[in-house]
Amino acid sequence: MYKIALDLALKSLMRRKTRTLMVIMMIALSLSGLLFLQGLYDGMVSHMINTTIRSDSGDISLYAKQYRFEKNIDYHIDDPEPIQAYLYQSEEINAYAVRLMQEGLVSTAHKSLGATLRGVTLEDERKFGDFYTFLSQGKFSFGPKNQDALIGFKLAEKLKVTLGSRLIFTAQDANGEINAIAFRISGIVKTGNLTIDEGSVFVSMETMERFLTLPNSATQIALRVKDESQIKSVQDTLQKKFKTLDVLRWDELYPLLIQMREMMNIFNWVSYAIVFAVAALGIFGVILMSILERMREFSIMMAIGTPYRNIRYQIISEAFAMALFGYVFGALLGWGFLLYTASVGIDLRYFEAGLESFGLNAILYADIRYYYFFQAFAAVFFATFLSVLWPLHVLKKIKPIEVIQGKML
Amino acid sequence: MKLINISKTFFPDSPKEVKALVNINLTFEEGEFTTLSGESGSGKTTLLNIIGGLERASSGSIFLDNLELTALSDEQMADFRLRHIGFVFQAYNLISVLTVRENIGFIMKLLRFDEVEIDSRIDELAVILQIEDILDKFPGQISGGQQQRVAVARAVASRPKLILADEPTANLDSKNSERLMHMLRTLNEKEHVTVIFASHDRYVLDQSRRIIVLEDGAVIEDH
Repeated sequence: MYKIALDLALKSLMRRKTRTLMVIMMIALSLSGLLFLQGLYDGMVSHMINTTIRSDSGDISLYAKQYRFEKNIDYHIDDPEPIQAYLYQSEEINAYAVRLMQEGLVSTAHKSLGATLRGVTLEDERKFGDFYTFLSQGKFSFGPKNQDALIGFKLAEKLKVTLGSRLIFTAQDANGEINAIAFRISGIVKTGNLTIDEGSVFVSMETMERFLTLPNSATQIALRVKDESQIKSVQDTLQKKFKTLDVLRWDELYPLLIQMREMMNIFNWVSYAIVFAVAALGIFGVILMSILERMREFSIMMAIGTPYRNIRYQIISEAFAMALFGYVFGALLGWGFLLYTASVGIDLRYFEAGLESFGLNAILYADIRYYYFFQAFAAVFFATFLSVLWPLHVLKKIKPIEVIQGKML
Repeated sequence: MKLINISKTFFPDSPKEVKALVNINLTFEEGEFTTLSGESGSGKTTLLNIIGGLERASSGSIFLDNLELTALSDEQMADFRLRHIGFVFQAYNLISVLTVRENIGFIMKLLRFDEVEIDSRIDELAVILQIEDILDKFPGQISGGQQQRVAVARAVASRPKLILADEPTANLDSKNSERLMHMLRTLNEKEHVTVIFASHDRYVLDQSRRIIVLEDGAVIEDH
């Protein structure tokens, strides 16, 4: 019996090519849209987290206790070398960067703004987070005499400075004296991390140590782990090893990012639900129509004695065969969109200012995760299942002879 | 087949109530070639549908041999139709995605006839009904007269005990009507299949061996 129904389903699909292709296309396009949207949202959040990790927090950061609350260089890590030696030999750690930071006032001839002066080693930052990729103008260098500085692009805009402009940074040193130091801007960085872009000036570690009269010291040691799934265990190990320090993960340092990710997840799910509802309605509508328009045919089959279960099996087979092909084409199409967007990105430079104010890059890159395809599979088949329920219910209740005689439908 | 006190009321206990059939008592013998006749609205199609189990009687019983058809469930009735009744409808009603050959063999396939037997029966019927040339065509590619002959072939293919034909000539010209009736009569004589028509076509009535005339849902003549 079922062989006949399956045979009839295949014949029906093959001999009504336009309708079959229309349903398959509808499913494929909706599905590829779902996949693309999901990948893009995840990509946006991943990008924000990634740039924050690369530009500042690392996977884990070590601070002297109290430093994070008071931002006072009295709470610095004295002699970071043993810590560096430990991190260097640890097999779980990929890279680290030692930083010495102080808050102060950055001034031009016309304007002054509060900012953080960050003493860094460019080579360490390069290994740590490919920091040079954030350079939007100028050189990734502090000059031959370490008298140059890199500046966040938003801060440069506010101060109305460009490459080669001079800056004066004024701050309190370790002795409590107010000191000032002059730099020339050698490069402008655009990280996507608002903390950096809006309020940071980077200088060499040696210059910073001299400026603060704080040699062989650090306020932050940020590190990257080899395996992201091991972040928590590395944190626990480091905390046990360095009990006098605060050892914090990126999500503890930037709780706002987690909130943002959660918010984006909600947004993602809402959008997904809306697109899914539209797609499901589309699938529902097309499959429903394709069944309703054949009510007469099904009625004839029932009138001449075809069991209802046979017709049910035929309808389900047809719908799910179309869903399967729709899924395969949609998944391939969506995968293509995602691959392209993951590698080339979507250029939204026209909306650059707006996106940057949210810490987003003007070029959006998508993420590709395998579970998207499982979710999409479940979504398509669930929508298909829903779309056959109503027509089957209608079919079960009709009187075939009334449909044949044109009294129904 | 015995029909005992068959009545059918549409929209009972409502202002739209229609008594389509009132206490019909009839007996059909095997091999009959009978027409239910009457004006439009006389109840002939309703009676045909009740005999075929496509509609339920409001009261009364139908027996075929010792089996009470009116007591069967919808599913059992569908199975009974599949095995014992062939239908020919006014508007041909072929399955559009199947070829003529597949349409004729459809019921036989449902009944799990052997493929060789199906093919041989189709070829045999195609000769009788003169549709050999259109076996691989789809219903949409053939004329109305041809479609009706295919519908007849489908109805008789599995050798049912009973053929029920509702206005089979209504959409055919006189030439095709004559040809169809001739073929049904041949099948009736050759295969002893009982044929019951619902029709007021003069030609169908002339060809019938028994005519039952209905008026306002009651039998007024049976000869």
